[in-house]
Amino acid sequence: MSDLSHVDRYPEIPVSLLASRGVLRTGEWRNMRPVARERRAPCSDACPAAVPVPRYLHLLAQGRLREAYETFTLRNPFPAITGRVCPHFCEAACNRDPYDGPLSIRALERYLGDAAAGLGLVGPEGETGKSVAVVGSGPAGLAAAYYLRRSGHRVVVYEKREKPGGLLRYGIPEYRLPEAVVDAEVARLGALGIEFRTGVALGPGMSLEALKEAHDAVVVATGAWEGRPMGMEGESLLEAGLEYLEQVARGHHTLPGRRCAVIGGGNTAMDVARVLRRLGGEVTVLYRRTAAEMPAIPEEVAAAARDGVRFEFLSLPRAAAKEAGALRLTVERMRLGEPDASGRARPEPTGETVDLEFDAVFKAVGERADLAPFPDAMRQEPGGWLAVGSDGSTADGAVFVAGDLATGPATVVEAIARGRRAADAVSARLGGGYDLPAWAAEESPDVVAPVEVNHAYFSRRARVEPSEVPPADRVGGILGEETAGIAAADALAEIERCFSCGYCNQCGTCFVFCPDAAITWDDGPVFDYDYCKGCGICSVECPGHVLLFVRERDDG
Amino acid sequence: MKWDIPLGEEIHPGNLGCQGCGGALAMRLALKALGPDTVAVIPACCWSIIDGAFPVHALKVPVFHTAFETAAVAASGIKAAKDVQGKATTVIAWAGDGGTFDIGIQALSGAAERNEDIIYACYDNEAYMNTGIQRSSSTPSGTWTTTTPDERPESRPKKNIMEIMAAHRIPYAATCTPAYPDDMLRKFRKAKSIKGTRFLHILSVCPPGWKMPSDRAIEVMRLAVQSRVFPLYEVEDGLAYTMSLWPTEPVPPEDYFRVQGRFRPLFEDPARLERIKAFVDQQWEILVRRHRRTHPDEAGIPAGEAAAR
Ligand SMILES: Cc1cc2nc3c(=O)[nH]c(=O)nc-3n(C[C@H](O)[C@H](O)[C@H](O)COP(=O)(O)OP(=O)(O)OC[C@H]3O[C@@H](n4cnc5c(N)ncnc54)[C@H](O)[C@@H]3O)c2cc1C
Ligand SMILES: Cc1ncc(C[n+]2csc(CCOP(=O)(O)OP(=O)(O)O)c2C)c(N)n1
Ligand code: SF4
Ligand SMILES: [Mg+2]
Repeated sequence: MSDLSHVDRYPEIPVSLLASRGVLRTGEWRNMRPVARERRAPCSDACPAAVPVPRYLHLLAQGRLREAYETFTLRNPFPAITGRVCPHFCEAACNRDPYDGPLSIRALERYLGDAAAGLGLVGPEGETGKSVAVVGSGPAGLAAAYYLRRSGHRVVVYEKREKPGGLLRYGIPEYRLPEAVVDAEVARLGALGIEFRTGVALGPGMSLEALKEAHDAVVVATGAWEGRPMGMEGESLLEAGLEYLEQVARGHHTLPGRRCAVIGGGNTAMDVARVLRRLGGEVTVLYRRTAAEMPAIPEEVAAAARDGVRFEFLSLPRAAAKEAGALRLTVERMRLGEPDASGRARPEPTGETVDLEFDAVFKAVGERADLAPFPDAMRQEPGGWLAVGSDGSTADGAVFVAGDLATGPATVVEAIARGRRAADAVSARLGGGYDLPAWAAEESPDVVAPVEVNHAYFSRRARVEPSEVPPADRVGGILGEETAGIAAADALAEIERCFSCGYCNQCGTCFVFCPDAAITWDDGPVFDYDYCKGCGICSVECPGHVLLFVRERDDG
Repeated sequence: MKWDIPLGEEIHPGNLGCQGCGGALAMRLALKALGPDTVAVIPACCWSIIDGAFPVHALKVPVFHTAFETAAVAASGIKAAKDVQGKATTVIAWAGDGGTFDIGIQALSGAAERNEDIIYACYDNEAYMNTGIQRSSSTPSGTWTTTTPDERPESRPKKNIMEIMAAHRIPYAATCTPAYPDDMLRKFRKAKSIKGTRFLHILSVCPPGWKMPSDRAIEVMRLAVQSRVFPLYEVEDGLAYTMSLWPTEPVPPEDYFRVQGRFRPLFEDPARLERIKAFVDQQWEILVRRHRRTHPDEAGIPAGEAAAR
């Protein structure tokens, strides 16, 4: 037996007692570093009002309704309205579109608006002592009034018609935007102390000068309501589409004749046609170009077709004549030529005509603003269009304009955005304003591209589409709202589809995949740059690409 | 946080793994499942270095460094001592593919045959990475390593370690990869709950050895699974096979190979690439058949797979 006593002299097994933390500063290996940098989602970028879509959706998904509503209304005070009628430029831009279809952003917006029905808008923090007149109470005037009030000014809204709302009330029909929704928004504004004076018009009885005397600034948002002459023979025999919609909105649900024609391809034409259908008319839309060039919201065109509206494209009425109790329209067939200034193919005459017979014909070929109240000094040239800055400023420092008056006929969301910008411009001049949360104060203009999204964290799923209320169940009968809101469960499922482009929705993917335990989690990643080796995994994996990978030296 | 994952760490920051090391991430995730009452036994491999040089170490749990060929037996001994002390500590042998498929297989087979109460995890980076990228019996066919250069790439298929372990009829064997953390944590938790020898085969990216950028480390492991090159499955008692993940959208193996410089020989010889792809298909079909034999009711088999029988 050999001597084993030396075993007792062996030292104990050496034991490491030092943690690598504090000793092995592996961050020194790094030449690139991850940084969390929120950027703009394409939806928000496409939205004229710049609504921060992924941000409010994330709050909504967490059940933080009030915060979601306040986040949304920092940019657009009326989600229940735009959630119903907006042409949703956001959806056309959505990064999810090429993957499996855009997010149902408008339906979610309506969901927010309806869910927030009991909540009030954020009001002013203090009073500036200044007073601002807002003329016109369409979406532009209402939005301007809201942000002016939120900024601490006294606000008086002057409205020509008997109720506030503009085209929201008197143009867009009940089946798309119930009057009750408009009333509720107006009531919210009233609750903030905004004063509405209806039945008073800017014009001979109340001049711009008088308003300037009574107030520190004036925002004019009187819209575009004047019919445009077509210059056709017998034009006086035609009815004005917008006036007809206004009549219907006031409760006169009359069908002027069984066989109806509507001339035009915009929203007014579609709404006139669809209202006439609902009231029992046989309706033909005559449009001088083709379906592809129609300026109306595509969904509205499709809905009109579903309603049974007939379309005659490449058809331009040249003359109308009364004939045995009916109207004979002489229509020239057109063909498409080179693109015009609007980029759409120009209709060219073919010389070929047909005669069509109707009981009533409606003109809906576009409206324009009434500029009579404005002096030449505010115009681009004497008698010409108004000279307007992008913030609504005019040659008169105390007068700002917004909405269709400033832009020509546009959309509700553009009117809202213009109203907000004009209000902010007024505050820049008068003082006052409202606090911006950090995200809004530091918003990046960089837009997240589709290739930056990491699809590995999503699976293809059809988007949630709102359903139609069966005709028999519509509140308000034949003209009652036709589209139902989406259910809470569907809203949550749809929010899960959102890639959250450029916005950290606290998914935790970066934390999970860091091989170096160099990220700690505090409702979002906290990088420990002493140890981050700069492998870049977190940046590549981040689903909405909020984490950028930047060179150590130019981390700016 | 959308992931169901413990926020606490059993590893300090400051490990010596390379940028994007799959082995470092695998250990971090595995210990999240196993918890602090764990002892790790590490033979010669990258992880002997990753943990830090004495007296520094990155893991918060005790580590026992041991010789290249002895992970399984050293772990068995420590577990026996813990038993004697009446402690329920989890003992995990944590070895590379070289230390598992090649030099450590004798000790591993012995421990498995005795059904030692240990978890044996092999983080498989498909070569001897620590010593400079030499081929192992885990290196897939057609791969470049420093000992199988481009002119003479690896000619033999990857050894099927899962079949070897299943042949021991151990209670649990499973494949996983840190690109699928939910699946990986579930399997480690399940392993922890079982008594006897449990084997976990972890596909583990090595950006320098695979000749690829570190920021695509997770993506490449995900592609290995999606392309069916590295299927995720479990084997219970050596016979019951269950697929863990059925790739939903077809991903050609080329998508996995192309990211990695080590697979360049595959793209220089179309016939070789076709052979490899046929091999991937064949291995997949074998697994699907075993899954179906285990689950005759076809439960969990997606419609597409059922049709493509
Ligand atoms: C039929 C129709 C359907 C439409 N559908 C949609 C749609 O689905 N989605 C969409 O985004 N957009 C739609 N639009 C466009 C949208 O309604 C307008 O772009 C938007 O309402 C413009 O808002 P505004 O505030 O500038 O003007 P308006 O809404 O026109 O409001 C102007 C207000 O000023 C008042 N006013 C006018 N003159 C005076 C005066 N002299 N003194 C005091 N008050 C005055 C008016 O009574 C009115 O209340 C539609 C337009 C029409 C005509
Ligand atoms: C008996 C013995 N032979 C050789 C070595 C040298 N050696 C240390 S690590 C290693 C390679 C380990 O490869 P693998 O197990 O795959 O782990 P990896 O380094 O790839 O993580 C070798 C050959 C050794 N330590 N002991
Ligand atoms: S996926 Fe979400 S954040 Fe990205 S564009 Fe679409 S709605 Fe906006
Ligand atoms: Mg190895």
